[in-house]
This record gives sequence, structure tokens and C-alpha cells, in this order.
Amino acid sequence: MSKNRQPALADGAPTGGRGRAFASSVKGSWVLIFLGLEIAFFCFKSPGFAAFDSGQMLLFYGVQVFLLATAELFVIITGGIDLSVGYVLGFASIVSIKLIGWFGSLGLGTGLSLLLGVGATLLVGLIPGLVNGALVAYLDVPPFIATFSMLGVCHGVSELIINGVYAMGLPKLASDIGTGHLMYVGPGGASLFQKPIVDRGVSVLEIVPNIVVVTAIVVGIFAFALARSKFGRHVYAIGGNVDAAVRAGIPVKRRLLGVYATSSFLASLAGVVYAFMYVSGKADAGASLLLDSIAAVVIGGASMFGGSGTVGRTMIGALIIAVLDLGLRMSGTPTFDKYILVGVILILAVIVERYMQEAA
Amino acid sequence: MDGEIAAEGGRGILGTRAGRALAANWAAGFLLLMLIVFSLTGRNFLSIVNFQNVIQIQTVPFLLAAAETFVVITGGIDLSVGFVMGLASVGAARIMQLMLAASVAPGWAIAAAIAAVLVGSLLPGLVNGIVITKFKVPPFIATMGMFGIANGLALKISQGFPLGGLPDQLSAIGNGYLLYVLPGEFVSLFSRPASIPYARIREIARLVPLTLPFIVIALAALSFALKRARFGRHTYAIGGSMDAAVRSGIAVDRHLVKVYVLSSFLAGLAGVVNIFQTGIGNYTTFNAQYEFFAVAAVVLGGASLAGGKGRIWSSALGVLVLAFLENGLAISGILPFYRYIAVGVLLVVAVVIDKLFPDAR
Repeated sequence: MSKNRQPALADGAPTGGRGRAFASSVKGSWVLIFLGLEIAFFCFKSPGFAAFDSGQMLLFYGVQVFLLATAELFVIITGGIDLSVGYVLGFASIVSIKLIGWFGSLGLGTGLSLLLGVGATLLVGLIPGLVNGALVAYLDVPPFIATFSMLGVCHGVSELIINGVYAMGLPKLASDIGTGHLMYVGPGGASLFQKPIVDRGVSVLEIVPNIVVVTAIVVGIFAFALARSKFGRHVYAIGGNVDAAVRAGIPVKRRLLGVYATSSFLASLAGVVYAFMYVSGKADAGASLLLDSIAAVVIGGASMFGGSGTVGRTMIGALIIAVLDLGLRMSGTPTFDKYILVGVILILAVIVERYMQEAA
Repeated sequence: MDGEIAAEGGRGILGTRAGRALAANWAAGFLLLMLIVFSLTGRNFLSIVNFQNVIQIQTVPFLLAAAETFVVITGGIDLSVGFVMGLASVGAARIMQLMLAASVAPGWAIAAAIAAVLVGSLLPGLVNGIVITKFKVPPFIATMGMFGIANGLALKISQGFPLGGLPDQLSAIGNGYLLYVLPGEFVSLFSRPASIPYARIREIARLVPLTLPFIVIALAALSFALKRARFGRHTYAIGGSMDAAVRSGIAVDRHLVKVYVLSSFLAGLAGVVNIFQTGIGNYTTFNAQYEFFAVAAVVLGGASLAGGKGRIWSSALGVLVLAFLENGLAISGILPFYRYIAVGVLLVVAVVIDKLFPDAR
């Protein structure tokens, strides 16, 4: 299906610097042009969209999709699909709040209990992925079925933990981190992390939400791993041709285990971030994000048959969705339109991508 | 990998003939086992009222699973069925509201809305089919796009709220029964005698929900189309081997379009059933996951996502397994959340059993 099956073409994730590598990965790509047109359209349509703050807001509300899309990309490159990411997100949002509360009740300090709670959640968050990977790799269960089953299990376990309501009760520090910014510039000078106390009406310039920084770092690390590490090369090789990968001595089953674990790790992180952003956890927190995250990967040019796709292009796909979301909100259109447009763009993306490849 | 596991299974105890027969009918066996266990654990589980309720509630899943069966046999998937159903439901409701506002008689409003929605529900399938065959978009993506489009349209029409104010006849028909019986006093068709005092309504036995004959006829017709008609033969042929189907002169693209149109038509029909049963227009929520449960039922029924395999009645059996799992757990007083977990485990077991006995079904 796709011609981009060579690992070499995987180069050029954004961590490769904003230089040649990045440019080559999007060269001749219509997605970037589309993103530019989309931004221009919304700047024109809703005054206020072309502002520094809207850019930050876009990234802030987009973090879940950025993380889930990266998760989905790894799986899709192997030719699989992970339907469970949204509910793993919800599961992790609940588990993190419960664990942080538990560590807090042991008398540990707020900071330490946050740290331990998040760490423990990310470890627990590996379990759904390991089970998915084991089912797919060792029991030969189709990814669609394995991950749908895991979706159900995560949904059920989440609801059991919270008994059908919300998980709440995070310390204030969590929401300070979740909604805080890296840097503040006010009349009294610049400060890191701490928002200066100013009089009413005095504006403080807020620069880069914390969670956007965290997301960028994590996505960057996984982009690097995919583009440059042996693991990444193996992932592309498996998606390109499983039989060839086996013959080449790649431990296919172990790698698949790793890929699904990566996916659920990133989904868990998205869940932890969700908890810090909204100070609550719920089972279906990520239910509506499955469409967005798969759409981001596909709009970014990855083939559903595996073997192609890069984190850089996936992020462009995710940005297209994030811009659409915020742009529609700011221009006062009901967000219902977003679903329609994501659906249309998703289908068009595949058609255009095919057309481009055939033309090339 | 396949062969290895199958060979191991073949050597084990389950390699015997009895084991093979068990594997072939394990879903039916599991259903039977559940019925026995839940009869013991759940009060009033084993009752006509409960079984009739299950049939009533599962009418929509039966239709969606039947739709998905055709698509899965061709090796495709239709993720849009749940949201097309919601779109049909709110679409019909909106049309009825508008016609009632224009003081059209309720009967005509209902008839016109249903006709419009059933014709309209051909459209998502037509688009899916064309996008899949002419533009070579993978079914997963094409129908996921339609999932977004149908969801957005349904939300736009309903503005995010269920649409009410519809004729009472809807839920009267949708929740009606064929027979109303008060032993020793009367047997009445379609509605209870007006003479019966309100206080005694609870004594009346209601038998055969109207949806039962409807769904049995619908499934029988679809099963006939799949097993006996040329339409079905072509469907299996495409799923078995696309190349062979092309060589044998089947117009594969045209047939695939028909399959996706049938799928979305059945989803539209499910939307009509939904509006009759609830009396209001409901959009589909993300949580409902109709499409995934439909695929789950089809897989439990022994179909393979790789295509070529699947039967309407087996998928219906899959729906019943999921239905009684939910119903039995609820009646036995077990938290409903265990159901999600149980479905997940069951699905994996289904696929593993099918891998162990590739020729069983």
C-alpha cells in the first residue's frame, strides 16, 4: 500500500532539530500547507485567534491528543490498532488520583506523594499495554479484538475503583502544576513557575503551560526513539513486512510487547496530565479522543497497513485537529461541527495521500 | 504462529471429537451455562417477562450485529453503524417535530419520517462504499470518518439534547405486545381492553413483544439473503478471496458498495426501532460503543475479522451472549461494571478458541 516502508524515511522527527531532517519529512507534504491555510482561515474568521495566548491554549487543550496520537502511531506503524488508549487514559486519571491520595494519607509530603503517585501510575499504566501486546504477539489475537477487550476491562476496573462517580481530591499543588506556566512576566519582572501576585487588572504574561513542556519533552523522546533507535527501526521493519522482520532476526514478539506497552504508557501519561489539568478523574475521560488520535496519525500520512509514519507528521495531524477545535470554539460555531470536519478531513487525507504517492 | 498453536491444540485433550464439537458450539454452550447459573443466582431471571425484556432491549444490537456480519464477511468493518443509528433516530424525530408543528396528522408524520430516514440511511453507506472501493480508503478509516460525520450531524440536529414531543403512538407501538392475557377473563390482541380497571393492569400478562416477530423476520430475511441468495454467495466470495472473486466475474466494487449500503440501511432501521421504543429521538453517545459491541457479537458468533466467515444467526447468538451476560449480572445484583470486564475476557477467549480450532466453525 504505502511506499514509505523504509526505516530511513523515518528520519526527521522534530527532535532532529528544526533543520533539514524536519523539512525533508514534510517536503512536498500537503498537510503542512493545509495547517497553514487552516490557521490563516481562523485568524481571518475569528478576531483574537491570531494571538500568543490562543496558540498556548491550543497546545494546552491539545496535549491529550498529542500523547494519544503518538501512542497510536507506534501501534499503527506495526500494522495494528489500539482502541484502548482512551479508556487507559481514563483509568490512569483515576488511578493517579487514588494513588496520590494514598501516598498522601501515609503522611508523605504533598510533593513527594505527587511524585510517587505519578510514578506508580505510570508503572500500573504499563499493564494494559503488556496484556495487549501479549495477546497480539503471543496468542495471535487480532489487535482490534485484543485492544477492544482491554478497553472494556479498563472501563470496568475504572468504574469499580470510583464506583461510578468521579475521582477527586487532588492536592492544590497538582492543579497549580497542571494549569500553571513555566514562566510569568509581570510588572515586577519575570519569575519561573510562581505566578506573581499583582493587582486586579494588571496583566501578567504567561509563557508556556507546564504540561505542554512535559508533553513536548516526552513526545520528543519517543520521536527520537522511533526515528533513531534500534527499537524504532524494528518497529518500522515489523510494519513493513513481518516475515522479513522475523527472518532478519528481529525479536518481533518482544518488540510488539514493547510497542503496546509504549502505547499504554503514553495513554497513562495523558491520563495523569488530565488529572492534573482538571483535578478529577473519570472512566470515560478519553472516550471521545479515539477518533481524534487515530485521525491525527492518518492525517499525518501514516498507512493503516503499517510501515510508515513519523511523530513529526503525526503532530502536524494533531495540530490540524487542535486548530480546528479551538478555531471553531472561538468563532462561536458549536463544536458539533468539529466531528463532521474531522471525519471529512480524515477521509480526504487518505485520498490525497494516495494521490500524492501515485503522482510521485 | 497460527499453525503452531493449532497443532498444539490438536494434540491436547481438546483435540478429540467431543472437544471439537464443544469448540464449534462453545458460544451456545456458554449461553446455556449462563442461563443455568443466572437462574440460580438471580431472582426472576428465569421468567418470560425477563426474557421478553432482553429481546426488546436487544432489537437494536441484533440489527447492528446483522449489519456488521455482512461487512465483516467481506473482510471489512463498519464503525459508523452506531452513529448512523443515532442520526436516523434524531433525524426522524426532527422531521416528526416539524410536521407536527405544521399540523400534519401524527400517523402521516410518523410514516413520512420513517420513509425519509430509511431512504436517507442509504446515503452514509453509499459514501462509505464509494470511498472504500473507488478511492481505496481502508474500511476502518472510511467508516471512522463517517462515524465522525454522522455523530456531528446528529448532534447538530439535536443540539445535544434528546428530541421529545413526539406522537404517543410511537412508544405504544414500539413497546406493544401481541397478546394481552388475563387468565380466565380475556385474551386480547395488540392492546389491553379499555374496560380493565387501572388497578388491575399489573395482573395482565403481556406476551410476545411486537419487536420479537419483527426481529425474527428481519434476521430470517437477512440470513436467507446471506445463505441462499446470490448476494450472500458474492459476499462470502469476496471475503474468502478478493482475487478469486474478481476472476470469477463478480463485480466486486459494486457488491462492496451494496454491502456498505445494506449495513447503513440496517443502522437506519435500528434508529427507527430506537425511536419507536423510546418515544424520543436519541443521538448516540461515545460511551454507547454500539459499533464495537456489534463487532464483538459477530466475533463471538465465530466470524473472523479477516473475512470469509460469519452467519447471521451466529451473530445473533453472539448478541444474546452479551445480552444475558449483562442482564444476568444485573439481576444477580453484581455491579454493572463487571460486565465490561467480562465482555473483554469473553472476546479474547472467543478468538483464542477459534485459533485453536481453525476448522471448527
